[in-house]
Amino acid sequence: MATSQQLVTVTIDGVRTQVPDGTLVIEAARQMGVMVPHFCYHPKLEPDANCRMCLVEIEKFPKLQTSCSTRVADGMVVRSSSAQVEAARQSVLELILGNHPLDCPVCDQGGRCDLQDFSHEYTPTAGRFKELKRVLPKQYLGPVIETQMNRCVSCMRCVRYCDEVMDAQALAAVGRGTLTQITHWADHELECDMCGGCIQICPVGAITSRLSMYDFRPWMLKRTDTICAYCGDGCQITVQQKDNQLIEVNSTLGAGRNNGDLCVRGYFGYHASTQAGRVRRPLMRQADGSLAESTWEDALEHVARQFLALRSTYGADAIGGCITARCTNEDMYLFQKFMRLVVGTNQIDSSARYGYINGVRALRRVQGTHRWTVRYEDIVQADGIMLVGTQLHAANPVTAIQVKQAVKRGGANLITLEALLPARSTVSNITTLARHHLTVQRGRFDAAILGLLKAVCDGNLIHEEIAGQAPQFVDAIRTRVAGVAWQVIQEQSGLSQTDCEAAVRTYAQAERAVLLVGQDVLRSLGGEGMVTNLLDLQMLTGHLRRPGSGLGCLAEENNEQGAVEMGVVAEYLPGPADLHDEGARAALAQTWGGGVPTGASATLVDMVSRAKTGSIKALFIVGENPVASLPPDAGVIEALESLEFVVCQELFLTDTARRAHVVLPACSVMEKDGTFTNTEGHVQRVRQSVDAWGESRPDWEMFSALSVLMDHPMEYADAKDILREIRGVVPGYTLLGPASMPPRVDEDTVARYVTRGFQDDLSRRYTLQPTSLPPSGSLSLRLVQSLYHSGKYSTRAKGLLEIQGEGRLQINTAGARRLGIEENDTVRLVNERGQAIVSVTLSDRVPDDVVWFPEHFDQAVRVLFASQVDTQTGVPVWKTTNVRLETVRECRSERQP
Amino acid sequence: MVFDKHRDTIEELLSRYPVKRSALLPLLNLAQREEGYVSQAAMREIAAILDLTLPQVFETATFYTMLSLKPIGTFHIQVCRSLMCALVGADDLLAWLKTHLEPGADGTTADRQFTVSAVECLGSCATGPVMQINDGYYERLTQAKVGRIVSDLKQTGDCSLKSGPFMMPERTDAAGAGAP
Amino acid sequence: MKAFEKILLRNMEQPGYTGSLADYERAGGYQALKKVLGGVSPAEVIETVKQSGLRGRGGAGFPTGVKWGFIPRDHPGPKYLCCNADESEPGTFKDRQLMERDPHQVLEGMAIACYAIGAQTAYIYIRGEFRLGATILRRAIDEARQAGHLGANLYGRGVTVNIYVHAGAGAYICGEETALLESLEGKRGKPRTKPPFPATHGLYQKPTVVNNVETLANVPHIVNRGGAWYAAIGAPPKSPGTRIFCLSGHVQRPGNYELPVNATFRDLIEDLGGGMRSDKPLKAFIPGGASAPFLTPDHLDVQLDFESVARAGSMSGSGGVTVMEEGTSMVWATLRLMEFFYHESCGKCTPCREGSAWIVQILQRILNKQGRQDDLHTLLDICGNIGGRTVCAFGDAEIAPVQSTLKYWRSEYEALIAEAGALTANRKAIPVLSV
Repeated sequence: MATSQQLVTVTIDGVRTQVPDGTLVIEAARQMGVMVPHFCYHPKLEPDANCRMCLVEIEKFPKLQTSCSTRVADGMVVRSSSAQVEAARQSVLELILGNHPLDCPVCDQGGRCDLQDFSHEYTPTAGRFKELKRVLPKQYLGPVIETQMNRCVSCMRCVRYCDEVMDAQALAAVGRGTLTQITHWADHELECDMCGGCIQICPVGAITSRLSMYDFRPWMLKRTDTICAYCGDGCQITVQQKDNQLIEVNSTLGAGRNNGDLCVRGYFGYHASTQAGRVRRPLMRQADGSLAESTWEDALEHVARQFLALRSTYGADAIGGCITARCTNEDMYLFQKFMRLVVGTNQIDSSARYGYINGVRALRRVQGTHRWTVRYEDIVQADGIMLVGTQLHAANPVTAIQVKQAVKRGGANLITLEALLPARSTVSNITTLARHHLTVQRGRFDAAILGLLKAVCDGNLIHEEIAGQAPQFVDAIRTRVAGVAWQVIQEQSGLSQTDCEAAVRTYAQAERAVLLVGQDVLRSLGGEGMVTNLLDLQMLTGHLRRPGSGLGCLAEENNEQGAVEMGVVAEYLPGPADLHDEGARAALAQTWGGGVPTGASATLVDMVSRAKTGSIKALFIVGENPVASLPPDAGVIEALESLEFVVCQELFLTDTARRAHVVLPACSVMEKDGTFTNTEGHVQRVRQSVDAWGESRPDWEMFSALSVLMDHPMEYADAKDILREIRGVVPGYTLLGPASMPPRVDEDTVARYVTRGFQDDLSRRYTLQPTSLPPSGSLSLRLVQSLYHSGKYSTRAKGLLEIQGEGRLQINTAGARRLGIEENDTVRLVNERGQAIVSVTLSDRVPDDVVWFPEHFDQAVRVLFASQVDTQTGVPVWKTTNVRLETVRECRSERQP
Repeated sequence: MVFDKHRDTIEELLSRYPVKRSALLPLLNLAQREEGYVSQAAMREIAAILDLTLPQVFETATFYTMLSLKPIGTFHIQVCRSLMCALVGADDLLAWLKTHLEPGADGTTADRQFTVSAVECLGSCATGPVMQINDGYYERLTQAKVGRIVSDLKQTGDCSLKSGPFMMPERTDAAGAGAP
Repeated sequence: MKAFEKILLRNMEQPGYTGSLADYERAGGYQALKKVLGGVSPAEVIETVKQSGLRGRGGAGFPTGVKWGFIPRDHPGPKYLCCNADESEPGTFKDRQLMERDPHQVLEGMAIACYAIGAQTAYIYIRGEFRLGATILRRAIDEARQAGHLGANLYGRGVTVNIYVHAGAGAYICGEETALLESLEGKRGKPRTKPPFPATHGLYQKPTVVNNVETLANVPHIVNRGGAWYAAIGAPPKSPGTRIFCLSGHVQRPGNYELPVNATFRDLIEDLGGGMRSDKPLKAFIPGGASAPFLTPDHLDVQLDFESVARAGSMSGSGGVTVMEEGTSMVWATLRLMEFFYHESCGKCTPCREGSAWIVQILQRILNKQGRQDDLHTLLDICGNIGGRTVCAFGDAEIAPVQSTLKYWRSEYEALIAEAGALTANRKAIPVLSV
């Protein structure tokens, strides 16, 4: 029973109040400031009423009632602290403490333990239990999660969270009675999402983190609320440090977009920037070719001198710049301002180029927004959700939690078009919740999306509003999809007419429909066109403009949305405004006191090729590592070697930084202030939680320092000072935090699109390229996102490396058996470009015709890939290749324990 | 594969329930019947058949005391130790069995023939002391009777003292002769 | 004792009666099902059962017709009937006999109940140990299906009733109706928090009735002979009918005895059970299964009906009557029952889980002559903190033996504790340096 809007009057401890009918008594009390003690209750979970700690007196009930499971009724009179209630609480605590080891001095929960706090508040100091305590044997659960079952109070919050919220069902309550304990299964090491939710939700110290075990007492920790720097979900995290050492990260119910939930990267990945190997001081290339430490003064003056010299010799367009979308908005804004205003070039790009830009371009074109028109709240309330190429549980785990809530609690119909099989295991797989799951073959999402559109047209599911408003648009699409045969769609994508029709029927009938598009679409050739086609689908089914409905593109990196809005992509100025938008240029000129250059822009790939042809002489690379992000055939190394001057701002000496002339040490996200804009479009505050590493400085400070040395000073007091300037230039940055409403679809843009705009590339968007089947004997090798990592950055985090420390080839279990390949076998991957030797792990999720390799560890296999560049958007695409697979029997390796 | 020869049984079983997980206990029972205990291999198969995770199978399996997750003897002798049987001498029988069969710490004899367990009420209190050996009940036991049962099982693998349909107090006519 | 007519055991006590379908039909079986399908509306069936005053025979004694009436009539989705055959209450063994000796009587009752509540599917949740009973029931279901008494379109009336046997695997708690539903769903048998009740959110969250075997076995007879007929038997108006009482312990003739509930414990124990097995007199008896408080010889003339037993300070429960002779240690008997409850506590809620373990440890100490002066006070206090504070009635059940034996035989506890005190005085305590 859900709460309703109707208010009822209840009296709690003598105070009358009004709460919505159906509110739980414990929540009604909380709203009045009355804390009813509890262990098993948690607002995220269905009431289980097992701990009996929250018993209260309710008039007209003969017995005490559990306030966590009883809902208010009009006129209800509740007493939460009568003698009878106090006695019951004391008894429950006495009973729990009876079997509790009281090892508080060595318990990581000591000092923030519900059992300690309630004992302190409600029980006499001496207990009467003088019998033998249960002793449960210690079990090793895994490298990062520790259980101490003697401390367990059997509230089952961990098991319930793992099931109800994470949908992983990885924890089991085993045994019966007092001997019940929490484990994975039998004596097996825990395999799960490793979200840390069980640790966070445990009211006592029964489940703790091995990363920080015995390292602290809670009151020694200094807390800072900031934003996780891995994926685009933008979760709020609380970083806890002691003596400037990162001790742990957790999250708070009710705070941030994640509302207390985290994924493995957020919870266990916080050590990425505290590795040995961080650049501590500026490095400069010496005469002998080595990089040696220098002073800030020398390094910055050298950079400034070089930039000025190159500009005066070759012109401003001899310099290009590229920044990672992991930087703060302030860093990125100042970077593009530096490049445009101080250097004088528009040759700027960022890692949003790897695919996110495809989505933003399509959104701007069709609906005139650069942000989602929906938010997490809309996902949770949706009754129809479609995921297209998202690998959501791995790529955007906290967005996945919203989808899980919508399905599991709200009963939403989920439709998944994903390049994986709906196999269930204790690592959550969003497709297992789907009402319609369509496995897309060979990454042919273009064909799959056309299948959906054809099914909409064939099935008469076109919304009457659009049919009446834009008949020519509807007719044009009808005609186009009529020209694509089901047979072709099925050959290419593997989706049948029946599958597509069933899926779109469900989706079209939804009242509130959210469509999420992920990396498998965004990071592929024709990605912009595919998103445009999905927006056509939204339009045809009437979901484009309906409040609560909308399409969202998922950001893989934490601040890709910010990168676009700060104008660090080739095609946009801050805003984002088109590079050639005169109004925007004028406004910027006024703010900046100097004009936006008129030179041509350049994408990352353009810059690489211009470097090779010699028109670019210097690159300013901030946190980006193109040597490692693109395959060898993209020629990044050759490009860097042909440049006269390369500056890198970096945390580590990456493959790219190693080739720079000057390396400037940058602060990690833990060491600086600023803002990130998450994939939904919420601008959130990033706060410094530990001191800067060595002499490293925030990226923006270096731009500012260089600008002074280059005689065009851009001086700011701090990151907030930059944000003040951003507010004047970029809409949507006035209020921070998750309060803002999502933007509405721009009606003028839609009208333009459905009358003329759609025609420009209609034939290209609605024509299928022929399938290129792998040559016989070959398999398709795909680089995929792992849940346990984010880009390459996370592969420096010790917690995440404990969980996944190497890349292994994932092969479909049944397919592998047919090939005579078993778990831990070593295989050789061969194609015309080279070969790689990798070990194998079997998975039921990998479709039979594909093998997967985690992109985070792609050094091992990168040689096998070739890149292609999207001619429309300049997006480099290279995540798929064909390989032959040969077994290397003699050196079968055992997995590291 | 544990269930290969039971494909039809499993299909029929699944047809009884609108939710697959309901077939979990029946399948665990079947696994135990098939292998003498519920092996990890069986649990993996069950998880795959029912679309459950292994912890879901495991947590259910460990709740029910008749399911053994470790191999046990060919004959599982379960002696009721609840009050009603204890009033009429169950403890003595259990002691006798332990003395004569000498089961190890895990309750199983060295030759893996017998496992002796004390269990709670078997629902046969009028005919105590009672014990269950595999599928069969043996009631109104005495030491002599238990001795004969054990020796019969050793020799023939079966024992005629097993109870038929329950009737208590007994009917006197011939048709009811199967009663204990 | 007045003469009376047996209802449930009548068939099986006939010479030569095997419980086969032929025997059952010859004895008038399936006439009731035919009768209701031949033109009695579901509402009328429920009305008849209400009128009969039949109350649940599993232990709680809830009026069966009222329970059926809670099922929302116009609920669009499936509804279920579950026959609770998880007969696990120590001292109780009647359902086993009903199932093994006259299975069709149960099946016919189930089919009628399904018709009355609008369920097409019914499950018999039988405890795992009852392998023979499960086999007999499965065979009977096959027979009945072949004869058209079960299955689709019964007697051409468009009514479908499918019954399946679902075996448990060893868990007393699964006799609790919501734990039974959890178990039937393949989960750990942990009782659910009520509300919501099974009548609206039962099996698979659908409207569900859970009835005991004996309860359902009464239904064909009530349909055949009318609610008024049944309501006149026994102890009307609140406790009509006969019940099968399971007699065990130190009596001459233990067994299942069907009696109108206006008979007394004396009738049952002395008359039918033949009195004590030896010359030792009666010391105590449990009137309604292990969950019922102990009674004394002073209570022999109490009537067997729910209300009379309740007035005597115990409960009629599942009908399991266990007799103990003089010389039986009440502390030992209580411990034995407590060990059962400790073993069977599902562990869901704190008072039952931790309380049962604590009580067992205290009782073990007392019995081993290591009792302490404050133990009895602590025992009663723990019991007071379990009763009424747990998710299900298991908590109330497990304290019954402790509270009742402390009420009537406190001196036995005190003697053991006194003995412990005497022993402790002679034990060498941990040496303490005296200054």
